[in-house]
Amino acid sequence: MNGQRIVALAWKEWREIIRDRLFFALAFVVPAMLMLLFGYGLTLDVENLPFAVVDYDKTAASRDYAYRFISSRYFAFQGYAADEHDVDALLADNKVRMVLVIPPRFDERLGRGEPAPVQVLIDGTFPERTQTSMGYVAAINSAVSLDNMAHALSRVRGIPLAEARQRVQPIKLEVRYLYNQSVKSIWSLAPKLIMLIMMLSPPFLTAVGVVREKESGSIFNIYSSTVSPGEFLLGKLAPYVAISIANAMFLWLLATWLFGAPFKGDPLFFAFATVLYVICTTGIGLVISMLVQTQVAAMIVASIVSIIPAVLYSGVLLPLPSLSPAASMLAHALPPMYYTNIVVGCFLKAVSWHALWLEVLVLAAYAVGLFGLGYLLFTKRPRS
Amino acid sequence: MSDMTNGGLFSVPGLRRLRVMTQKELLQLFRDVALMVFFLYSFTGDIYLAASGVSMQLKNAAIATLDADYSFASRELASRFQPPYFQPAGSVADARQAIRRLDDGDVMAVLDVPPRFQERLQRGEQVSVQLQVDTSNSVLGFLASSYGAQIVGKYALEAAAQREGLAAAGGIAGPVVEADTRVWYNPNQNDAWFMGISELLTVVTLFSILLPAAAMVREKERGTIEQLMVTPLTSFQILFPKVVAMTLVILAGSAIALFGVLGPLFQLPMRGSLVTFFLITALYVFTTAGLGLLAATVARNLAQVGMLTVVILMPMLLLSGAWTPIEAMPPWMRGLAWISPLHYFLDAAYGILLKGVGMDLLWDSVLAMGGLGIVVFAAGMRRFGRQFG
Repeated sequence: MNGQRIVALAWKEWREIIRDRLFFALAFVVPAMLMLLFGYGLTLDVENLPFAVVDYDKTAASRDYAYRFISSRYFAFQGYAADEHDVDALLADNKVRMVLVIPPRFDERLGRGEPAPVQVLIDGTFPERTQTSMGYVAAINSAVSLDNMAHALSRVRGIPLAEARQRVQPIKLEVRYLYNQSVKSIWSLAPKLIMLIMMLSPPFLTAVGVVREKESGSIFNIYSSTVSPGEFLLGKLAPYVAISIANAMFLWLLATWLFGAPFKGDPLFFAFATVLYVICTTGIGLVISMLVQTQVAAMIVASIVSIIPAVLYSGVLLPLPSLSPAASMLAHALPPMYYTNIVVGCFLKAVSWHALWLEVLVLAAYAVGLFGLGYLLFTKRPRS
Repeated sequence: MSDMTNGGLFSVPGLRRLRVMTQKELLQLFRDVALMVFFLYSFTGDIYLAASGVSMQLKNAAIATLDADYSFASRELASRFQPPYFQPAGSVADARQAIRRLDDGDVMAVLDVPPRFQERLQRGEQVSVQLQVDTSNSVLGFLASSYGAQIVGKYALEAAAQREGLAAAGGIAGPVVEADTRVWYNPNQNDAWFMGISELLTVVTLFSILLPAAAMVREKERGTIEQLMVTPLTSFQILFPKVVAMTLVILAGSAIALFGVLGPLFQLPMRGSLVTFFLITALYVFTTAGLGLLAATVARNLAQVGMLTVVILMPMLLLSGAWTPIEAMPPWMRGLAWISPLHYFLDAAYGILLKGVGMDLLWDSVLAMGGLGIVVFAAGMRRFGRQFG
């Protein structure tokens, strides 16, 4: 290992990167753009769900009932449909995602103190949204039911409405939202976006950067020089790691300043873990670049290899406990999940070494493993 | 001679050139073995992983009980938190232990029942029960608190009805609203269908931007574009075969994904016309490839194309509505979704495969997609013509 050669290589690589203005700009613009785009656009709240009502009863009671949905911010009323035959086309054409069918004698049944059935048809194309909207429907229905029960009880017993209300609702549930008290998506999302973007961008940059030399043939200069494989890899990758660390810092600023996500943890610990993670993801790019010969292949492999684990197996979009056993195993075998724990721990839970040492250890093992693999795969005597 | 043997449509010189150029593109593509291996993986293994592994739903969320009452009523309430949504995870002795288990991510929620719960319930007093939910994941947190509220609400209403003499054999005899919820198109809430199709569309999008763009820029980088320019080929005859070749390959990949993975392994229904599906897919690939070619006219080397692809791909994926509902986005983003071809393709693909709709409902999506395609393709050709004309 010769430090001077490493520095020289890193300097050469750095100049090559900054001379390609568009590439250099995009290397910084892309992560920031993704952060803004996902931060503003990737809302996981289900709101304004378009829905229609079929009212066969057409009484004040049925209109009142429908109005509970119409006035809710979770639903966006698209109008009354005449009967159920119109509903097919509306749901099939994505004009509405839900239809509320109020059968005849709705008012009459309630008036007699009997349960009144209604029908809710929900588009099941997006299962997670379907479940959330079913939750909203259940909440509105139970509120209506409680109201009706309280009114009926106050009439029958001759007690004031407030007392009747208390009687039909003997248990009050207080929900405490831990770690993110407003359940605002962006707070839990913004920190995880750092993980996501730092999983996507470094492998891509690195893989393309290394394979570029292979494809253009300039790698033969390295093969025929005195530079050893270890020196080449360190020098070649240092600028990419540096760019990615700068990006990670910028994303952290965006998360805390622009999106207002609280950062409760230890900044030093977080910085250390982030550098480790960036080295890991750069290592993924390195291994990819050793396995492919063309830049197109490098880009495709980098995107497929990094998007799937980062989006699906890291806990950003999908709850980890609901993964199937095989997927859960895969999630545990890949770095994003560990860094997600670190990010969430640092931002929302204010935990540090004592709770996260295992995650850091795993990331370190990954970094060493990936660079070791890259080193083994890199040979100055290519088979041809 | 070859003109005569081939005959038919391709004997017209312009079409023959298109065919030869398409063959050239296909050959070039197939010779990149690593790329082809990954291409196949993307349309099989990757889609299998996405469809099999993931569920967007709350399943077996571990819940611990902090029971300070130790009564029949408190145990009854706690025992109602059952699979599929919840999984009882024992009890905790005090609040500090509850917080520690939540901190460790060992449990997702803690149900806190106060002392004298049963006593006060029987006396008709109002009693508070607390549910602490880990909302680090806000979707999961919302679902857990929503199901928790439903369970407690149902229990409370039943307890009240029993005390007030309103209970019937089948439940409650009061004027309540009973919703009969029916989920259409995917009644069992099979996540594999949604995730599988969504992943297929993502992979199709990735390849249709990147492959033609890369093929174009590679010619620029190596200088072979100059060779093409001195041939009698028009810029349309240079650009279009690239798109045709990639479209053919991507359609083959989609067929493998549908008939080799999603159909046999996940019982995807495919209710609509598959001919329509593949025609719309071809149109979509053409439109998206136009975007790729446009990027290729901006980029000078492959690395730039790669970055530009990310710049185009990610907003498209996000604004399509596959990951997150468009209705809930800020208005300016909702506006942008109208110019994302994936938005229309998503509607069409889910419509045909899950809902079984046909062109009578999809014509507007197809029209918008085709319109977008013509605009970007024309813009790409214009820029290309100016650069090399």
